[in-house]
Amino acid sequence: MTQDIEMKEQQPALSNSLSTTAPSTFQNLKEIAALIEVGAYAREVRRIVRAIRWTIQLRRKLKASVLSAFLNHVLVPGSELQSRLYSHLPKEDEQDMELDTATSATQAPAKHPLPELEVYCCLLVLIFLIDQKRYSEAKACSSASIARLKNLNRRTVDVLASRIYFYYSLSYELTGDLAEIRGNLLALHRTATLRHDELGQETLLNLLLRNYLCYNLYDQAEKLRSKAPRFEAHSNQQFCRYLFYLGKIRTIQLEYTDAKESLLQAARKAPDAALGFRVICNKWAVIVRLLLGEIPERTIFMQKGMEKALRPYFELTNAVRVGDLELFKKVADKFSNTFSSDRTDNLIVRLRHNVIRTGLRNISISYSRISLADVAKKLRLDSPNPIADAESIVAKAIRDGAIDATLDHANGWMVSKETGDIYSTNEPQVAFNSRIAFCLNMHNDAVRALRFPPNSDKEKESAEKRRERQQQEQELAKHIAEDDDDDF
Amino acid sequence: MDPKITEVSQAFERFKAAFVRNDFDKCSELLSQLKVLLTKFKSLPPLFEETPNAIHELTLARDIYEHAVVLSVKIEDLDAFERDFFQLKPYYTDACGRLPQSPQEYLILGLNLLRLLVQNRIAEFHTELELLSAIALENPCIKHAVELEQSFMEGAYNRVLSARKTLPHETYDYFMDLLAKTVRDEIAGCNEKAYDSLSVNDAQQILLFSSDQELVEYIKVEHPEWEIKNGFVYFKQARESEPCKEIPSLQLINQTLSYARELERIV
Repeated sequence: MTQDIEMKEQQPALSNSLSTTAPSTFQNLKEIAALIEVGAYAREVRRIVRAIRWTIQLRRKLKASVLSAFLNHVLVPGSELQSRLYSHLPKEDEQDMELDTATSATQAPAKHPLPELEVYCCLLVLIFLIDQKRYSEAKACSSASIARLKNLNRRTVDVLASRIYFYYSLSYELTGDLAEIRGNLLALHRTATLRHDELGQETLLNLLLRNYLCYNLYDQAEKLRSKAPRFEAHSNQQFCRYLFYLGKIRTIQLEYTDAKESLLQAARKAPDAALGFRVICNKWAVIVRLLLGEIPERTIFMQKGMEKALRPYFELTNAVRVGDLELFKKVADKFSNTFSSDRTDNLIVRLRHNVIRTGLRNISISYSRISLADVAKKLRLDSPNPIADAESIVAKAIRDGAIDATLDHANGWMVSKETGDIYSTNEPQVAFNSRIAFCLNMHNDAVRALRFPPNSDKEKESAEKRRERQQQEQELAKHIAEDDDDDF
Repeated sequence: MDPKITEVSQAFERFKAAFVRNDFDKCSELLSQLKVLLTKFKSLPPLFEETPNAIHELTLARDIYEHAVVLSVKIEDLDAFERDFFQLKPYYTDACGRLPQSPQEYLILGLNLLRLLVQNRIAEFHTELELLSAIALENPCIKHAVELEQSFMEGAYNRVLSARKTLPHETYDYFMDLLAKTVRDEIAGCNEKAYDSLSVNDAQQILLFSSDQELVEYIKVEHPEWEIKNGFVYFKQARESEPCKEIPSLQLINQTLSYARELERIV
């Protein structure tokens, strides 16, 4: 789904080819630990975020020996946590490890390690276990870590905790027991909300949505989503996921316009590396657009690295565009496996109606008058009473505004109306307005999304300068007030 | 055997007897007693406690709620249907690993789908549909409802009505009656837009009335704006996207001002 999974797939091949240099990885880990320590003391969440990003880069180089050396270095040897984490590591390269233990035992800090570092070690072991595909151990390890996290209430732990939540859910998902942890996740979400841990809330809400959607529990997912507190997104990845789940829920509940917006936004915002995620977003977006009666552009299907995965959807689009029921059925049958594994098969069933509509629209544009028998033939309606069916289908299309025509029952005709001059209506003005509004919104969002580092130079501002500035501000305020007076 | 279970079973037997006799007042009365009794079982949702009699109690409770749903259809109470169905649902979704599947399950799920369709709650219809497995979708009861929805969306209304002849179960009858009413309103709405006029005979056929009298009655009540003249029904044509003669000045001014304001913010 996300870049994390993508990375994992490449991982086995890479770990063989990369000649891992244990000391440098160990050195890197030590640097990360130092970074976390600084972050924890200075209460700078930013540093911890950087530490995690760095860890993910190191991920492929993680080895049991390096890890155990690191655990020895950071944690108090013989402590409960250390021995527990230690038990998860394989003992294959015994020699190597002993060497490391020997060297690091001397420099092991005697003091009690920071909670941040403890949590970080849990995370590291957890990632390692998942990469080694030892999921049941990962489950045990993550559950124990979660139990420990419950007692920690520090803002600097939040970032690490949110990653642990993620891997916790992932390890259960990989073994197919996602339903088991739903209660736990809900409890964690509640705790995160009470602690104002927004990143944790964001992550857990997504995990919960994923959990529900995994079992097609759209109703529960929507109820949770609509009631959970919302705030400005902290992490782009989490926000993308949220948008994707939101898009899925809205699609199922037939709110296609909103669904399209969320799905397209999710696809656009996702990082380039998350190819799998972008592909699935595009798949859903294509279907939603088809359901809306739009025909997605060809370029969507030609995006780099997606051609093959989007092929079934391309053919489907083609069938809808032509408005041919036969062809549509053929495509749906041909790729039924793909559609059911993407869990879009129910949506495809809904599309049948759109195929008919498009066909009807084509007919209405090409003929000024056509008999209903011919309409039925052209649409290839296979029913015992095609003419009556065609008549009521056309009637409904007229009422829904899909075509502009009238029916003549006595003669069995459909008479298309002349298309009027659209520029004599307000239509162009409305379209113009919606486009401008879109551009302006985009700009405003972009401005709002800009991030500024905490203003470090302002603190250095001397007392004199500050006074000067305040004075200026006051004058300005006075001016504005005067202006206001003039206005009224 | 646990005395509580015996008590419930006995009451349930009486309920079933009344149910067979079609004594619905008695049924409703017994049902409320049963529901109160069921609250004493700890193994039932939402607690799902592991008690020695859990399986027995769950099966019994599921049976009771299934009867309750069918009863609500018989006494034509849609609200009661919804309530009972939601009480029943956890037995299908959350207890499915522990209980053997109920033979009534698909019938009831199909009924619920039909109810959502009749009440025109299409979003919920699709949400429910997503919960069903591929095997469930093949079941005639479910398939019936799914096909109805499709025909309904397409506008092939006579297919909806001909589906009456292939009812999977007698309880579906009530909903099909309701559906027929919904369909008629839909058809009337479509006709209004699609035709300029229809002969009374044709209108009667299309709107599925058996006599002219009924048609005239229906028009009087539901669509007083339709006109019957010389054996034809004339629909009023009050639509057409008129070319705008007037420029919507106030709206335009507002829009232009907001563009100016936004632009100023950018520059």
